[in-house]
Amino acid sequence: MALKGGYTRAALLALATFGVLISAYLTWTHFAGLSPVCTGGGAGCETVQASRYATVLGIPVALLGLISYAGLILSATLWGEVGIYLGFLISLIGTLFSAYLTYLEVFVIEALCQWCLASAAIMVLTLVCTSLATRQLTQAR
Amino acid sequence: MLLTLLVAVAIVVAALLVVLSQLGGAGGGSGEDVGEFYSGIPQDGTTLGKGGAPVTVYLYEDFQCPFCGQFSREMFPDLVDDYVRDGEVKLVSETMAFLGPDSVTAARAALAAGEQNRYWPYYTLLYEDQGQENSGYVTDDFLRGLAEETPGLDVGEWEDQRAGDTFVKELEAVQSRAQASGINSTPTLVFKGPDGQTKIDRLTNYDQISSSIDKVDGS
Repeated sequence: MALKGGYTRAALLALATFGVLISAYLTWTHFAGLSPVCTGGGAGCETVQASRYATVLGIPVALLGLISYAGLILSATLWGEVGIYLGFLISLIGTLFSAYLTYLEVFVIEALCQWCLASAAIMVLTLVCTSLATRQLTQAR
Repeated sequence: MLLTLLVAVAIVVAALLVVLSQLGGAGGGSGEDVGEFYSGIPQDGTTLGKGGAPVTVYLYEDFQCPFCGQFSREMFPDLVDDYVRDGEVKLVSETMAFLGPDSVTAARAALAAGEQNRYWPYYTLLYEDQGQENSGYVTDDFLRGLAEETPGLDVGEWEDQRAGDTFVKELEAVQSRAQASGINSTPTLVFKGPDGQTKIDRLTNYDQISSSIDKVDGS
């Protein structure tokens, strides 16, 4: 089935690429034991990255993000029915988990990491892209 | 139908991630847990472990330093369980206070607990409840709350001990030792044993600690 939505696909690919860059940087700083550079000179990124919520079962949250964005790139590459549904699933999980992580930053850790907030915003935008594509897919049926 | 299924799967996976995150994040922060953790391990001021332990590890930390908090929560319990409990290693806390005035306040509170040989439980509780550096979280109420949670600590005596300009000399002495050893970041771990000494100033994993102990322990 031929799908329209070249702009949506391109936007998803661009967003996921930005996401990969951010999460790869945070994953690298985690394993290298470095503090992420936080714009504005605050220590929020370091506080969030060193917090007890920065890992899930010992896996850095940044690495989970990296895997998710790589999955979104795969989704944009495949496109078609499988690619779009895969992208929708990943971006919805990512958005829900990002919402939880942002809640932790604001109310529990009480520190903001610009990289994490940027990643959360990107994840929400990828959900917009995949939702539009999913809608188009269901209407085309 | 498929879309509904995908949404349901996404919600379940996200919920699972949240639960796993909370399991890791909940931490063992209660005084009861801390008391149990340190049970049976000798404590003398800022020293933890048997006096005759062949290896001594000096921990240069600042209570406001996020990576010190991460070390304390993620690697310190294993270090104690694997090496301190059986008398192979003793730990000496070298409390630095260079990140801001709140670092000094927190260090004095911990050192005052050390006067009653309750430094280490207080150390653990401070890191369990660590906030963002210089955000103002190190208040009197915060420190007193931790003191009340610390098993066996006489809070009234602790209040008297941390009042005034106490522990200034101790903190200055640590700062001098750090400078003399070329230590300018935290956490830094210095290992001393029969086979000499080594240092970790960029701690990324627990294996670094194990191999450093093996390097100096003389076996």
